Amino acid sequence: MGFFEKLGQIDTRIIYVLFILAILIPLVTPLGLPVTVSQHTKQTYEIVNSLQPGDTVIIDIGISYSGAGDVLPQTVAMLKHLMAKDVKVIFTGVQMDSSKIIEDLIRPYEEAGKQYGVDFCNLGYLAGGENAIAAYARDLRKAYPLDSRGNSTDTLAILQTVNSAKDANMFIFFSTQNADMYVRQIAEYQVPIVGGLIATIAPQAEPYLHAGQLKGMLVGLRGAAEYETMMESPGIGVASMDAQSIAHLLIIFFIVIANISYFATRGRTQPAKEASQ
Amino acid sequence: MSRDPVIWVSSIVTIIAFSYLFKENELYKAVEHLYVGVAAGYTLVMGYNNVVSKVWTPLTRDKNFVVLIPAILGLMLYVPYISKQYSWVKRIPIAAIVGIGMALTARTQIMQQFIGQIKATVGPVKSINSLIILLGTVGTLCYFLFTLKPSLPVKTGSEIGKWTIMVTLGAAFGAGIMGRISLLIDRMFLIFRDWIPLIKVR
Repeated sequence: MGFFEKLGQIDTRIIYVLFILAILIPLVTPLGLPVTVSQHTKQTYEIVNSLQPGDTVIIDIGISYSGAGDVLPQTVAMLKHLMAKDVKVIFTGVQMDSSKIIEDLIRPYEEAGKQYGVDFCNLGYLAGGENAIAAYARDLRKAYPLDSRGNSTDTLAILQTVNSAKDANMFIFFSTQNADMYVRQIAEYQVPIVGGLIATIAPQAEPYLHAGQLKGMLVGLRGAAEYETMMESPGIGVASMDAQSIAHLLIIFFIVIANISYFATRGRTQPAKEASQ
Repeated sequence: MSRDPVIWVSSIVTIIAFSYLFKENELYKAVEHLYVGVAAGYTLVMGYNNVVSKVWTPLTRDKNFVVLIPAILGLMLYVPYISKQYSWVKRIPIAAIVGIGMALTARTQIMQQFIGQIKATVGPVKSINSLIILLGTVGTLCYFLFTLKPSLPVKTGSEIGKWTIMVTLGAAFGAGIMGRISLLIDRMFLIFRDWIPLIKVR
């Protein structure tokens, strides 16, 4: 077997080990590669930054634990921004994991003195996917008779002034599923919509941004890093970017290697295959 | 090392799950079954909580009898498991679910995804991006024209469409890789920060 054949048949286990090292080493010893901020994130930061203290936003947590690693850091960053600006937040969720994720998100702020029911509330998971979004967008208290802690939503101060999507100053969603159902059900209420998406589905949501149906969009862990950079408050996102970049370089390297091997051996392997047939 | 048993369990299970990359083994198979069992149990608990908060409490505390309608419709889905003779009953709630879902989606789909997107695509070309989107959309539509004779404009459009589709697939694949790496980074934080404190970032 020649050099190029061997190159095309590297043991995948070697690639896995190299891949894990390419991620782990930059996490342990950060390289400090610069994080450039994309237009999407700038636009998102500016629209969120335009909110005034006392404004109320609805945040839908459409995150499942399986995809949380990509979307949760941007949720943490944006919530930090909103809390610093004293914006009130109504949390909703259309994923089974939503209630628990929301509780984890609000706990530090509750411990720091923010008041549940006044500064934020957790309405929890509502089954039904797109139907659930349509239902709570029209009437929050009707769709959610109780919040996730068992309180009657009629008693929550935050819901006395905002009871539908049209009453909110902004609708924000974080999703590991898609952006389609949010745009379909919320856009008609004429409220600015901002989305945070898992990287795998973000390209499908680009047309909504171009059309102005989404006013801002964060894309995966990269979006979190950019948002943290805009906030000048580095966190998990920024810390992960070195690892992300090195891993991408490694993938590009192996794509090049595979193609070199393919083109160098194409003429040689073809007759052998034909002979075996 | 962490003293939190949850961190220990999740880290060890993660490592066992990754062991599949090297070779399928008995521990991996055990974790796979464990995952299915836990997921089923979790779904059951969430379903129970949903019934309590959306049906039982409004019914008993607020005397809201309207919630009985969706509750009965939901129960009708289980009739085939009790009686084969009356299994047709399940068609009623399924018809309601499909009908309501279709009506909700179709109405807003036409407004937001059809008219909204067409307006944004054919609207005034103000930037190079708008021009690329316009050409890419028209080209892709040409690529899927199967009933017209292939004339020069259609062929050119089709070629543009083919390239647009390839670029789109490439972008989706790249974004897919980025997303998967993020998930791996998240697992690295669990093992090498929360469990074994090698990574210092909080």
